[in-house]
Amino acid sequence: MSGELAALGRNARWELTRLRRSRRVWLLLIPVVAGPAGSAIADLYLRVPSAGTAEILGLLITAGLAALVILDLTALAVGEDLALRTHYLTFALPQSRSAALVGRLLVVVGGSLVAFGFGAVAVIALAQLLVGPGTDSVAPLFVPAHLAMGLLGLLLFLGGITAAAAVVTRSAAQALVAGVLAGVAAVGAGSWFLLQRQLTATFPEILGVVGGAGFVWCLIEYARIEA
Amino acid sequence: MSDEALVVAGVGKRYGDRDVLRDVSFSIRSGEAVGYLGPNGAGKSTTLKIVAGVTRPTGGSVRVRGLDPDRESTRALRRLGALLETPGVPPYLTGADLLEYVARVKGVPATERHRAARRSAEAMAVVEHLDRPFGSLSTGLTRRMLLAATLVGDPDTLLLDEPTLGLDPAARQDLRDVLRGLHRQGLTLLVSTHLLDDVSEVCDRVLFLRDGSLVGDEPVHPGADDGSGTRGRRVRMQFGAPVTAAELAGALGPAFQVTLDGPRAADVRFAGGDDEQRALLAAVVRAGLPMITASTPGSDLARRYLERVGREDAT
Repeated sequence: MSGELAALGRNARWELTRLRRSRRVWLLLIPVVAGPAGSAIADLYLRVPSAGTAEILGLLITAGLAALVILDLTALAVGEDLALRTHYLTFALPQSRSAALVGRLLVVVGGSLVAFGFGAVAVIALAQLLVGPGTDSVAPLFVPAHLAMGLLGLLLFLGGITAAAAVVTRSAAQALVAGVLAGVAAVGAGSWFLLQRQLTATFPEILGVVGGAGFVWCLIEYARIEA
Repeated sequence: MSDEALVVAGVGKRYGDRDVLRDVSFSIRSGEAVGYLGPNGAGKSTTLKIVAGVTRPTGGSVRVRGLDPDRESTRALRRLGALLETPGVPPYLTGADLLEYVARVKGVPATERHRAARRSAEAMAVVEHLDRPFGSLSTGLTRRMLLAATLVGDPDTLLLDEPTLGLDPAARQDLRDVLRGLHRQGLTLLVSTHLLDDVSEVCDRVLFLRDGSLVGDEPVHPGADDGSGTRGRRVRMQFGAPVTAAELAGALGPAFQVTLDGPRAADVRFAGGDDEQRALLAAVVRAGLPMITASTPGSDLARRYLERVGREDAT
């Protein structure tokens, strides 16, 4: 077990080196900076009826950006080495393949979710500051905190599907396409449920569970590659 | 402790309904350099992947210094360096990044990591390229950097899959010289290739693989092995005037075995390589013997390859 934890730590560090060298690490700033900035512009220049509605708008903007980041980073963390055949080098090293991949995924998925979290907090603070509670009695479409949790489920779903697709296709580019298509399908389904007034917490929960299953499947299959 | 660095016993591998390897058995002594020859698709890379613990055999067993690379992978693979399937590396990473990562995974202590990476790079003559991204390195330099990665952690056995594939003739020769140097330092080598020169210039022994079955296991230079496992060589000499076996033996000493082929020609066999050959020629000149030519006859590897494996891919 300690060996697996050590492999996890070493590969988390390896992923950080890769993010830094490829400059992909800057992508993690997009949900933190661009999400709240876009949201603030909307708060100032659109007739947003209340802070709650502004929060919902900002959270959707920030989650959209975080989705692009998690798709890109996950696809590359799993698929880049498989496409370049770098895995023939790393698989012959004395470490657990699954633990190594968990270490790398923790950095990219964890990093993307944390970035979304920071962005969400900033969006909510800016909405309170720029819009205020509002006098309009129209209730927001969602409870913002609930929406934020639901969006986390969506992000996990996108990450899990992309990771699984990267193992199947052995290509970061094709995994990215699979992740985008999964995102379109999830948003389409969510919108349909919303129009039918049937959108409940169950939907993002299911998305989160499917994403988690995607990650587990990815880890199992990754350990079996060439075996 | 056994002197065997590597033991492959009855190994088979089946993908679906196709047998890629059938009952392959061989062992490699410490310090031996063994060539693994066969056409594309014969099962060479699969064998190396099994030895490196990347692929599980369907049957049989593998031991690296007595350890199972599948079940005791952490211990077994620490002593092994493997370059399989000519891997690529993301273009933005530098050689130093890769070597230090390998050092970390191989359990090199933090205080030693930088030095271990540098030592491996020195062995492959790529120190000055350590901080360059892989995307800016030539194919030859990339291959050397990858070989340096396999040397991190001071492994005693190297598995090399087509190490000179895709290199230009000069880079290929450079790499063969490097591999000969590693062999001289006592590393055990298993070199899978379909280039006969890789084997004849680097290896002591050759294994022939055809359709997943081992069809030959013999010295690269037959008749030159002195039985000690040391790589042997044969030099053919022509003389301008008749010489006797006693004159030649007296000039050369007991390390060289002389066989006269008529009064003006002789074959001299000895254990060793370039250094011993230079000593041989110097001794003949010093003794004033009328030598006019000296040559190293080919190992006849191409003919033996065709006999055992067939016409495919002999290059």
